[in-house]
Amino acid sequence: MNPETVLKTNPMLAWREIDGSIVIISPEHSMVHELNPTASFVWKRVDGRRTADEIAEQLAAEFDVTRESALADVHELVESLVANQLVSALELAEVKAHV
Amino acid sequence: MQIATKPDKRIGVVSPVLQLPLEIGKIPLNLKFADMARFESAGKRYSTFLSSDKKGLPVLVDLQGRTSLDGDPFTYDLDGATVQLGEDQAEFQRVPHEYSLDSLIRILLSKLLLDRSGFLLHAASVLADGRAHVFTGRSGAGKSTVASLSPAGSVLTDEISLLRCVETRWQAFGTPFWGEFRAGDMNCSAPISGIYSLIQAKQDRLERISPRDGLRVLLPNVLFFSSRKQDNEQLLRILTDIVEAIPVYQLYFRRHADFWKVIA
Repeated sequence: MNPETVLKTNPMLAWREIDGSIVIISPEHSMVHELNPTASFVWKRVDGRRTADEIAEQLAAEFDVTRESALADVHELVESLVANQLVSALELAEVKAHV
Repeated sequence: MQIATKPDKRIGVVSPVLQLPLEIGKIPLNLKFADMARFESAGKRYSTFLSSDKKGLPVLVDLQGRTSLDGDPFTYDLDGATVQLGEDQAEFQRVPHEYSLDSLIRILLSKLLLDRSGFLLHAASVLADGRAHVFTGRSGAGKSTVASLSPAGSVLTDEISLLRCVETRWQAFGTPFWGEFRAGDMNCSAPISGIYSLIQAKQDRLERISPRDGLRVLLPNVLFFSSRKQDNEQLLRILTDIVEAIPVYQLYFRRHADFWKVIA
């Protein structure tokens, strides 16, 4: 994944945090997704401005994991979120063009 | 049941409108029919839920000469029959039979309940000591069995429960929506004691689960038909509220009335 890839949540989704985990409903597909605590940490930082690498840095700082491990985990997670249409990955230049 | 008339502007004559005011889960509806047979059939089916309040939400059932609904109406298509809900009126169109009418009323209620801190759940609700026990699960989980193993006159429904938070208190309401075990309709409500996810087992056992697991139990059993984001957000808020307020359990049971012993 490009280090300058910015992450944005799918604006059509309804979600809520319960017991530290994020539960997401995709109204379009009538699907329910439940994120584990690590994925929930990432989800709450996906704001259309941060890159996956920036979120991985925060993950490494928050939890007792190496930067490399956090990067690998976040990249794998983001691929899954994108595949499930929960998150879209935008190139930084693309984001700037829309600002 | 009351009969009123209204002028039919299209053909310049007065056509009868048959009104059937109902109240289900404290939600007043005023079903309006042109067809006498359909009106009488619905009057019998919902007799326990008839109301004297004609100011409930007008619901036009296959009425001709309708006007466009205001705002951005909620619409749902059920095998060709449709529900439309505008700001101050609802319409059912192409309703083939009374079972379809039943389904359309459930769809309408599922939407109306969102603004009233409530929802419909695939669940049997049974009264014991003045409190409601809500047994949820999909078809075959044992809802009708639970109802059939409960004392006569205690079952609010064996299939579709209406749960609402009224004045900070979660309550289960009787509904006219039944499955295999149709007892006499009960148009009453009671505070909810607990929600039980049914699991058939060789021994009766009760296990309390976390609010998060409770939400996981409820979500697949909620009757919900809206694809609007704000409606789904409201539903999630309501479900989160109930699992944080009401204990949720896994009930392992043997299809025998003894399961009441582990609940008591």
